[in-house]
Amino acid sequence: MTEQRDPHGREGSGPDGQASDAAAPVPETTVWQQLTSFRGNSSRGTDIALGAVGFALLLAIWSGLVVFEVVPKQYLASPQAVVVRLWELLTKYDFLDDIWISIYRVWFAFFLSAIVAIPLGILMSSFRIVNGLTEPIIDFIRYLPVPALVPLTVIWLGIGEASKIALLWMGTFFQLVLLIADDARRVPREYVEVGMTVGAKPSQVLRHIILPAMLPSMVDNLRITLGWCWTYLIIAEIVASDSGIGYVIWSARRYVKTPEVMAGILAIGIIGFLTDQFIRWLHRRAFAYLR
Amino acid sequence: MNNDRFIVIDRVSKEFGAHGKSAAVRVIDDVSMKIGRGEFIVFLGPSGCGKTTLMRIVGGLEAASCGQVRLDGATVTGPDRKKGMVFQSYSSFPWLDVIGNIRFGMRFRDDISAAEKERLAQYYLELVGLRGFEGYRVNRISGGMRQRLAIARTLAAGPDVLLMDEPFGALDAQNREFLQEQLVGIQKSEQKTVIFVTHDVEEAIFLADRIMLFSARPARVLQEIRVGDHIGTQRPLAVKSTQAFFALRNSILDVTRRLALQTEKIMLQGGMFPA
Repeated sequence: MTEQRDPHGREGSGPDGQASDAAAPVPETTVWQQLTSFRGNSSRGTDIALGAVGFALLLAIWSGLVVFEVVPKQYLASPQAVVVRLWELLTKYDFLDDIWISIYRVWFAFFLSAIVAIPLGILMSSFRIVNGLTEPIIDFIRYLPVPALVPLTVIWLGIGEASKIALLWMGTFFQLVLLIADDARRVPREYVEVGMTVGAKPSQVLRHIILPAMLPSMVDNLRITLGWCWTYLIIAEIVASDSGIGYVIWSARRYVKTPEVMAGILAIGIIGFLTDQFIRWLHRRAFAYLR
Repeated sequence: MNNDRFIVIDRVSKEFGAHGKSAAVRVIDDVSMKIGRGEFIVFLGPSGCGKTTLMRIVGGLEAASCGQVRLDGATVTGPDRKKGMVFQSYSSFPWLDVIGNIRFGMRFRDDISAAEKERLAQYYLELVGLRGFEGYRVNRISGGMRQRLAIARTLAAGPDVLLMDEPFGALDAQNREFLQEQLVGIQKSEQKTVIFVTHDVEEAIFLADRIMLFSARPARVLQEIRVGDHIGTQRPLAVKSTQAFFALRNSILDVTRRLALQTEKIMLQGGMFPA
């Protein structure tokens, strides 16, 4: 996956100003030199191309492993078999319903996480008493492995939707709230003091300064946390469920239907990738002022 | 209210708290002064001497350990829009454009109407010479323009006193000189009381009605210099190349050089670093 933060490349040509002297020939660099230069410039086009090359390489290695039977067929299906299976699942076996239910679970739990974590995180950064009371608890729970909580959620909430949502919520909330609190703390002190010296009350400083100032990094953290949601979703759906992508994967495993297992994984990968790219795109649009 | 005692700093001391084993550090030691309405005061002193802290106490952004500050007769207890602040770093909000940042200075005022706010926004935009840039994003304008923007925003809030913490410190020499000249003009036309913190002697002389020369930490007022007595009250840029300006500069530099050595010694001995 391409990890690019600056789609338009760095501004200008650096302090040595390559364009300063029209007569001096610019030393020629090969494409290879440009791509491998230490912390060199990047452009949107090359980033996309490199990403595609990465995927192609992965596919090639995968195909190679299957074609030359380095790994037996029942353990590793060929890319074509996986895609074909995914298509069959979608068209003949109502896999789309499972995808929707999984997406719904992820987004609903994530939404519940965010609407509690955002205000609490901001309050933690603003008031010592809130931070003092909550941070040790959050830090403690944060280190509990989510799978260890599965039995409890099943005992408390049964095997319906509630237990899955609860599990996802616990997996993301305690991480997210600390990230949000950090985002709020990183707002420059000067911004806050500007607010106070133009007569803003604390609540106005929060709303009109801290919130807009922390928003870009907060959206980034939400994006990353949304990714974790998918991890916990599969755990939740494997343990107690009769629907969802995780359920499909787990049922297929029982009959060693490797192509079907891999098709499920592929579906998650595609959804995750598209969501991630979409939020990045939104980020670039909404926070164009950062560049 | 007495115009000569518009701001009264009354026996202010400041100590930064003891952390564990390290003892409390005294940064301001029993400083008193009176500042008249409309006066341009410069706090001059070595880096890390506590002059910024004193200014922040005047602004209500920091509490004194001892003593108090009175503004127009009222004791300062916290920050508000009567004490406007221009910071050394670029403090304009990147999510707002130029005019949006100026408007932000008035956002929380309820003493004037919306129409008046708009008129003032245009007025201050003009005053700091940013006409034509109102729709620009903050990170698309130069450092000097950003500081002018900060001045406009601060003035828009309608402060009684303008507190400026080395606002031109990050600018190159030409820009710095240009902004100093503009500031002198703005201060004259707006009749604002200004406290300006710097460690640049020439900047201090050019701008100030009165320079408060501070010692190395803990800050004490070593000397009070009425700049008008030396170089007059008119400040065209040319004043910087007059004999009187040089003479004053050299005599102040003499003192500050000795101070710098002293500061270094204190830092080495006590392991103290500027707050």
